[in-house]
Amino acid sequence: MFCGMDLGSRAVKIVLHDGQKVREEKIVETARFYKTCGKHSNAGFAVDFGALLTETPTSVTVTGYGRNSLTIVDAEIISELKAHMLGAVWQTGLTDFTLLDLGGQDSKVIRVRGGRMDDFLLNDKCAASTGRYLENMAAVLGISLDELSKHYEEPVELSATCAIFGESELIGKIVEGIPVSRLAAGVNYSIFRRIKPMLLSLASETTVFTGGVALGPAIAHWLQKEINTRVVVPAQPQLNGAIGCAIHAWEKSGGH
Amino acid sequence: MARIGMTTTVPVEIILAGGHVPVDLNNVFITGAEPVRRVEAAEDDGYPRNICGWIKGLYSTVVGTDCVDAVIAVTQGDCSNTHALMETWQLAGVQVIPFAYPFDRDADLLRLQMEKLAGALAADWAAVLRQKRDADRIRRKVAEIDRLTWKENKVGGLDNHLFQVSCSDFNSDPARFEADVDDFLRKTAGLPARSSELRLGYIGVPPIFTDLYSYLESQGARVVFNEVQRQFAMPYDDPDIVEQYRRYTYPYGIFGRLADIQAEVDRRQLDGVIHYVQSFCYRQIEDMIVRRQLKVPILTIEGDKPGCMDARTRLRVDGFIEMLK
Repeated sequence: MFCGMDLGSRAVKIVLHDGQKVREEKIVETARFYKTCGKHSNAGFAVDFGALLTETPTSVTVTGYGRNSLTIVDAEIISELKAHMLGAVWQTGLTDFTLLDLGGQDSKVIRVRGGRMDDFLLNDKCAASTGRYLENMAAVLGISLDELSKHYEEPVELSATCAIFGESELIGKIVEGIPVSRLAAGVNYSIFRRIKPMLLSLASETTVFTGGVALGPAIAHWLQKEINTRVVVPAQPQLNGAIGCAIHAWEKSGGH
Repeated sequence: MARIGMTTTVPVEIILAGGHVPVDLNNVFITGAEPVRRVEAAEDDGYPRNICGWIKGLYSTVVGTDCVDAVIAVTQGDCSNTHALMETWQLAGVQVIPFAYPFDRDADLLRLQMEKLAGALAADWAAVLRQKRDADRIRRKVAEIDRLTWKENKVGGLDNHLFQVSCSDFNSDPARFEADVDDFLRKTAGLPARSSELRLGYIGVPPIFTDLYSYLESQGARVVFNEVQRQFAMPYDDPDIVEQYRRYTYPYGIFGRLADIQAEVDRRQLDGVIHYVQSFCYRQIEDMIVRRQLKVPILTIEGDKPGCMDARTRLRVDGFIEMLK
């Protein structure tokens, strides 16, 4: 059993994989994970797998934002780009595509050719093209992230270039009486606008879209309409990085 | 004898011929005790947050210190922020001498600029040419350090960077700098060649990050081409001083630089190139051209304030190295 962990800025995603399919999955809020799911030691953070999973993993592979600063005891660390690429290849069976991962703290665009990373771009130093922006805006609108990601009809124009000032602009629009569905569509469209140039420069006929936001139809709608690409959302887009970690360990053990 | 600061590389031979001490303010700023405090001091004086860290660092390296007696500011061939930098220096009472590289590399205009600079610094032209002969001797030795980097694989990216970038002012003391170069060459001669590393190029202005080269080497990749630093070291060995500063690519637009970069990418057999851009710099726009024209994998990284690379940048570097391996 191969355990893959994606240590995200908002949530820790954990899968147990046997090389054929995901046997078990867990998503734990990041702060709670470090407080309750193990303990810190000199060798790093020792995860209490007994409390998290029903089976004990034979290997642990981790990726994520903290990979430069945090060590998980007895785990192999791989880069986020590699983890997400491997996860997308395994989940879709595709070898030539552009991967768009909308994460909590960054957005990644990776061009994959022949099952290998060929080029990549990450968003610039700005929160306004990340999942965190969407979470904040959903909170301002008083709806869930799931609800937010459904809307794409008649997007309201949002012009603020900053995730923080964007909130006050959105409140201004609420005051004007614009329906929530149009505001939600406007939020989704503003994030699509930010990732569009990255996607255009690394475009493929097929775009694999991952991250929790991919569960809703809004961003995929514009990907199809404005980038003219076929959009594939894998079965578990939010677990893609963790799955990629497990697949890395499985491949190392001789699986392919 | 005066201490003459410079905002970027200028004909250093002229400063030396006038009997003055050249001081590259960039090097003083970034190797100073607390460069990030220099940036903050400029912001305290009113510099906007969203302005290049180098400009702010240069500003407070000069204002309120006795670092230099006057500054040569490059008004054409570097960035337009330098204009406002000059003006804020003038406001603070700093003597500023303008110098412009002609946009179209016109030899007559460049000669005129050099003659005007010689006049401002009371430098005699025959002395300028004598200084050039001495400077070229040092530059040839630094070119040897560069060759030992990419051809013999004996020198790391940081030493390559430091010796070449120091050629803008020869660390304010050409004789001592030459002795340091000689010493380095002697020590390097007996070293074994490094092997099995990724070969990277570094293009763009010198990094504001302090740990880029060491981090790359810890990840199994070595910079064997420092583009702008090599330009500062004038590797042409051209006997004509005007021609030398015409061949110098940095002040004349991106296409001349790209021809030089592509030739070195091929000659040095680079696996990939890191394009460094400074936050809020107009050269970020040129990244678009670099990516379209250069035939080699490219990673673009951005730096703002002096210090170690942040986690975001390391993530990009890791991904790039992983991709190339």
